Amino acid sequence: MTVADIVKRAGIARNTFYENFSSKEECFLATQEFAMSAALERVVAAAGSLDEWPFRVRAGLGAFLDYVVEEPALSRTCMVEALSAGPAAVRYYEESQQAFVSLFRLGRDVSPHGADLPETLEEAIIGGVFWILYQRLTASRPEAIPELLPELVEFALTPYLGAEAAGEVATAEIPGGIETASAG
Amino acid sequence: MRDSANQSVESPEYPPELARLPPGRHGLPREFVAHNQRERLIAGLAEAVAENGYAGTTIAHITRHAAVSRRTFYEHFSSKDECFVAAYDTVMEELRTRVGEAFDQEDEWPQAIRAGIAAMLGFLAAEPHLARLSMVEALVAGPVVVERYDSAIQSLVPYFQAGREGRSKEILAGLSPTTEEALVGGMVSLISRRIFADRTDELESLLPDLVEFTLTPYLGSAEAAKVARG
Repeated sequence: MTVADIVKRAGIARNTFYENFSSKEECFLATQEFAMSAALERVVAAAGSLDEWPFRVRAGLGAFLDYVVEEPALSRTCMVEALSAGPAAVRYYEESQQAFVSLFRLGRDVSPHGADLPETLEEAIIGGVFWILYQRLTASRPEAIPELLPELVEFALTPYLGAEAAGEVATAEIPGGIETASAG
Repeated sequence: MRDSANQSVESPEYPPELARLPPGRHGLPREFVAHNQRERLIAGLAEAVAENGYAGTTIAHITRHAAVSRRTFYEHFSSKDECFVAAYDTVMEELRTRVGEAFDQEDEWPQAIRAGIAAMLGFLAAEPHLARLSMVEALVAGPVVVERYDSAIQSLVPYFQAGREGRSKEILAGLSPTTEEALVGGMVSLISRRIFADRTDELESLLPDLVEFTLTPYLGSAEAAKVARG
């Protein structure tokens, strides 16, 4: 991809591009920042609408998957192309995953064995979720993403709550919050 | 194939320690020399990529590290990309073999998983250049390598799927079709993040965390933690 490709798609002049960005790389980083903050905003809003941590995780993940499906091109840029777009893009990709760590870490307070959980658990859970989404996005099957929600919720909650309780949260009917997040 | 090894190792610009074949008329069979040159080029690429990154690596860098001539390079590979693919495949083959052997040596599945992960971390920690080549640079080396990278990660899935065998109905109900993919993805992300940050010395200390993380869905966290601690 070249700057020429970008300005053609954007329908703007080459000059305009360089008034905003000094290079393709800078434009790429701005795209990552834009998409990741938009996605995080949705996650925080959805998770914040609920009280109990397991349901907050479910709502937050749901909002994230919804964003990915609504913005497949942006998501592909941030979750697939970013990995091959040079060190700055990879660093941003890594750092943006860290934003999710704090949401998951709260689970240690509600887990019966929270104090014994591995230090790197949240990093691994988020890495696993991102890898599943990477797979679906490279296979160009974003439409298959929303149906992954129960599986991903169960995967993310099992280390904290055990498989049984995690499964219940993944499939339970919750009036209000979740439905709003999925529809939104 | 031309016998260009003699010519290259006699060249004064190559430091003798890089020439892994003795100079002069060594009388080795031609196929052996050719094979050895290929290995040297692959090793040379790994060193050059560690030094300059994939994008910054030139064929001159590779041939200098391999201590062979440019002509020899082109007798084996048509481009830098092709040489990278060969290097990537060589590293992954080695990794696959070590992981497979470690896994097969254990009778019990949880211990086999532990042994397999330990073998992977041990190899990557001992070979930081190859770790970087296979887990970081591979992603910028073009679609052919990225595709191989994706399938290399997916090829770890069956090791974990084997853990479903003989589990109770309750445990199986808690596993989804994507459980293994997510576990493998989580494990690889922990590993590659440390390689990306040049912290390969931390890799082996990840063993207990990774074992507990990957075994928990099958054994529950208490039992998984026990295996993790060894």
